[in-house]
Amino acid sequence: MSDIKKKDETAADHGKCMLNRRQFLMYSGSAAAAASTVSISLFPGQAAAKARVVGYPRKKIGQLSALKDDQPVNFTYPDDGAINMLVKMGGVKAGGGVGDQRDVVAFSYLCTHQGGNMIGKYQAVGNHRVLGQCPLHLSTYDLTRHGIIVSGQAYQSVPQVLLEVDGDDIYAVGMMGLIFGRNENLLES
Amino acid sequence: MATKYYLPEDHAPLPPKNADVKTTCCDYCIVACGYKVYRWPVGTPDGGPKASENAFNTNFPSGPLQAWVAPTQHNVVMHEGRPHNVVIIPDKDAKVVNIGGDSSIRGGCIAQKCYNPNKPTNDRLTSPLVRINGTLQPVTWDFALDIAADVGNHVLKEHGANAYSVKTFSYQFFENTYAVKKFARRSIKTAAFTFHDTPSDVTSTPGFRDAGFDNFGPAYTDWGDADVLVICGTDPYETKTMIFTQFIKPAIDRGQKTIWLNVRETAGLAYAKSKGDDQTIHLQINPGTDTPVLGAISRIILENGWEDKDWIKHWVNDKWGSSSGFGQGTRNTPWQWRTTWGKFQTGGVYGKKGYKKWVMSRKEHEPEVAAKIAGVDVNDLYKAAKWLTGGGGDRPKASFGIEKGFYWSNNTGNTNAISSLATICGAGGRPGQVVGRFGGHQRGGAGGGSYPRNRSPEKVPGRRRRSLDTDRWLYSGHTRMAHVIGTTWIQAMAGANGLHNKFEELTTNNPNQVTSWDKDEIIKTLKARADSGGTVVINQDIYLRDPIGARFADIVFPASTWGEEDFARANGERRIRLYQKFYDAPGDAKPDWWIISRLAQKMGFKGYDWNDSNQVCEESSRSSRGNRKAYHMIKIAAHREGKTLHQKLAELGTEGIQGPTFLNYETGELLGTVRLHNTTMTQEQIEREGRTKGANMINKKGTHFNSQTGRVNIQKHPWSLYADYWEWMSPKEDELWHTNGRINEIWQSGFDDIERRAYITQRWPENFTEIHPDDAAARGIESGDRVMLFSNRVPVHKNTIKGVHGKDFQFSELMKNGHIALEKGAVTAIAIVTPAVKKGALYSYFITEKQASNALQGRVVDNISGNYNYKLGVCKVKNLGPSEYKKEFRSMSFAPRNIV
Repeated sequence: MSDIKKKDETAADHGKCMLNRRQFLMYSGSAAAAASTVSISLFPGQAAAKARVVGYPRKKIGQLSALKDDQPVNFTYPDDGAINMLVKMGGVKAGGGVGDQRDVVAFSYLCTHQGGNMIGKYQAVGNHRVLGQCPLHLSTYDLTRHGIIVSGQAYQSVPQVLLEVDGDDIYAVGMMGLIFGRNENLLES
Repeated sequence: MATKYYLPEDHAPLPPKNADVKTTCCDYCIVACGYKVYRWPVGTPDGGPKASENAFNTNFPSGPLQAWVAPTQHNVVMHEGRPHNVVIIPDKDAKVVNIGGDSSIRGGCIAQKCYNPNKPTNDRLTSPLVRINGTLQPVTWDFALDIAADVGNHVLKEHGANAYSVKTFSYQFFENTYAVKKFARRSIKTAAFTFHDTPSDVTSTPGFRDAGFDNFGPAYTDWGDADVLVICGTDPYETKTMIFTQFIKPAIDRGQKTIWLNVRETAGLAYAKSKGDDQTIHLQINPGTDTPVLGAISRIILENGWEDKDWIKHWVNDKWGSSSGFGQGTRNTPWQWRTTWGKFQTGGVYGKKGYKKWVMSRKEHEPEVAAKIAGVDVNDLYKAAKWLTGGGGDRPKASFGIEKGFYWSNNTGNTNAISSLATICGAGGRPGQVVGRFGGHQRGGAGGGSYPRNRSPEKVPGRRRRSLDTDRWLYSGHTRMAHVIGTTWIQAMAGANGLHNKFEELTTNNPNQVTSWDKDEIIKTLKARADSGGTVVINQDIYLRDPIGARFADIVFPASTWGEEDFARANGERRIRLYQKFYDAPGDAKPDWWIISRLAQKMGFKGYDWNDSNQVCEESSRSSRGNRKAYHMIKIAAHREGKTLHQKLAELGTEGIQGPTFLNYETGELLGTVRLHNTTMTQEQIEREGRTKGANMINKKGTHFNSQTGRVNIQKHPWSLYADYWEWMSPKEDELWHTNGRINEIWQSGFDDIERRAYITQRWPENFTEIHPDDAAARGIESGDRVMLFSNRVPVHKNTIKGVHGKDFQFSELMKNGHIALEKGAVTAIAIVTPAVKKGALYSYFITEKQASNALQGRVVDNISGNYNYKLGVCKVKNLGPSEYKKEFRSMSFAPRNIV
């Protein structure tokens, strides 16, 4: 990454420059649905949304028919160094959820406070679906709301893996939020 | 439909090797974690992922607990007129407080606090404003200050000093609070002076003060060193995050027992409860019922002879001790300022007038009775008594921490009751056996002048005056100039709706409104306003607050703040650090000390010709001598080394030094104080360490308690002083208790983050109220419904009165004598249905600008202390229908906070 330096960036250009360089795709949720047979259901409703997709690998991570309610499946994405979970949340609709019930979501396992590993911390309590408490400092995230903090100390929502469904197959196609420990989600190989 | 949402970035820059590094601390909660600011010019290279390429000397991706930069920890600011990147992360080298660089969500995202015209902070105040033709318009400093000074002097001359009311933050750095206090209390000498969190300048914890406990005596480590910890009216995971995650959580993991008095349950309490009934007791009491519960536990202990007799013998006043000193009435404590005719004084623990006899004699302390009042299991009271004392076996180290849910529910009663219980358990003066507070703002108060109590027209029964209640003073029409510094005033006080209406009447509804461009005419109009019985408002803040600034202020002064000036302050274990300047303040904003100094000079007061913040800090150091955060000796040490006070503090970095500070003149070494009331420290040790020579000042509180004798006063805590108010407030018909407070994500940071931190705004787009499932079902309410909380009986104490007879300030007497008005309060909120709150009670966040739930809380002061019991309110609930948050899946969360 060190060879990609900001040469001549003013404060005002800062945001724009970052977007251009990494070719982030701007689109609205409804436009995306109309333009594609696949459903990237990041932001339901009519809100304009921005997804972090372009530049990320498209990786098959599972099949809808193979998922069991509230039983997370682990997978790595966007590279082998990043561990995530894919889960069908037993019919509980979620922001960014795919599948008929919009209840299939995927998130990073790393707590965005100080990198605690939350494997085994998926919890279904009534209609709530959370990840946490993190064993380090007890942060908990709401998986129905894009991984926003429920209670705790994290500096951002837990990163959500953007999903695409093609028939029965589920693909990871992007990521929203920076994975703990990285300065870029996409590492140089 | 679009609600407030946040799109997280997936990249963040790393600081390069050559980035400037400044030390500071978090601006928010009292724990004050150490932070480092990395700064490098925009346009120069960022750091790279290899350890050799970044300022952290860390390879990326980094591992758990290592340095990392979240996107919310980066910002772009102006430094010396040029855009710079800043990355602000907890100090990974920290050896104290946030050891190893731990942090809360608030400090973790503090980079977003910095002014950036491209971010939600773009509405910072950047120039002085004067309201002309109803609109606040930018003017020059001279123009605004001339008006303020001229009208101010007129008010002083025509209406007296008390007509100039100053309502100010108590915490925002030594330099600013010193200037404000010097101005208000020494130069103007107004008794209509108080802080952001109380209607009058009185102690927050009267029971602690009278017992002799400092609020912030303990070291943070003490909370982890206790074997049994009592936590009242708070969850420190939410209100003192690092104290919980760094000290209490590891202690719980080692087997520390915890006893909690709390109406609701949040993450830290839930974590403790996950350890089982053998380690955790949650007394989920009805609001306001702590006193009988604590009295019952004390009673069980004394009945069984489980008290710490040795401690009592050496460190608790007997009847002679509690009567010693000078003055009238009870002589040992500030009771002498509020004669109470023996309501609290005891003859020690034992004997005819002893605490034991008293506590046994009161019906409400019978365990069954107390448990019934509070709605808890009586067996838990017996269990708590046993845990705290060992029940006749080995005595455990017990510590006691309290915060606002407790001391703002029954201010005098609760703080007396906990002090007495702690005392018989042997707590207060030894490592791991401490008494203190679990929250609050950082300790940034410096004494610029003492409160002119003899000028206060408010008098309580007995012989003495009490600090003037600035709300009632305004309400009665005596405040002709309201100078409001860094507080919303209205929403921060109880019964906020009525206070709002009164402000409106005195300001915008007054016929004297500025319509001229001409400075003299403006001054004339505002003088006419004051003379007609109206109020002129000056507001000094970093943002335009609604309504105090946006609607009521005639003059607005833009303040600069954290990161924009060098400032000093202490934390909750008295640790003094420098908060370094690292970027330019927005526009023409100036630090509060500068604003005060220029206003004071224009008004003709002497002693304000300061040029920089270090000068103010150095002048203020003398006034700190003898108090808990005494920093005078740091100045002495600095001058010996040819440095300034601020330079010396900068050298001490994020570790700082714990007050009171001392200088060993022989070695030149600065010495701190780990804990106050440290009875294990001997006189020989103090002398050996060189703490007694030269300008060093040894204060009693270092090794003894803050009473006349240096021993603890054990006090009564009569329920009857409060029971009439509690009964009157208790829910009638379909009302519910309404209590309110803070939440972790917005704790001492509301002035920044509710509106201006996208991540937090998405989490809490508006106020909420937690409601028990049974109460919700009875009213057809589900999570995500928008509800109206309303009351037609918010009790409001109207006028400034003089108390003559003993019961004149008792609620039922005030009511009988026509001093209480019943006002309406209404506030909307989003319902969160959760069993984490006690059945019959609601819990809301206390102070968003738009939905200030303090509107429902009674504006009647505790009849002894003069504080509001903010946490006691009552209301009805009506479902207005589903909110947008119920229908979409982006903002807010209805998941309970106590999932473990």
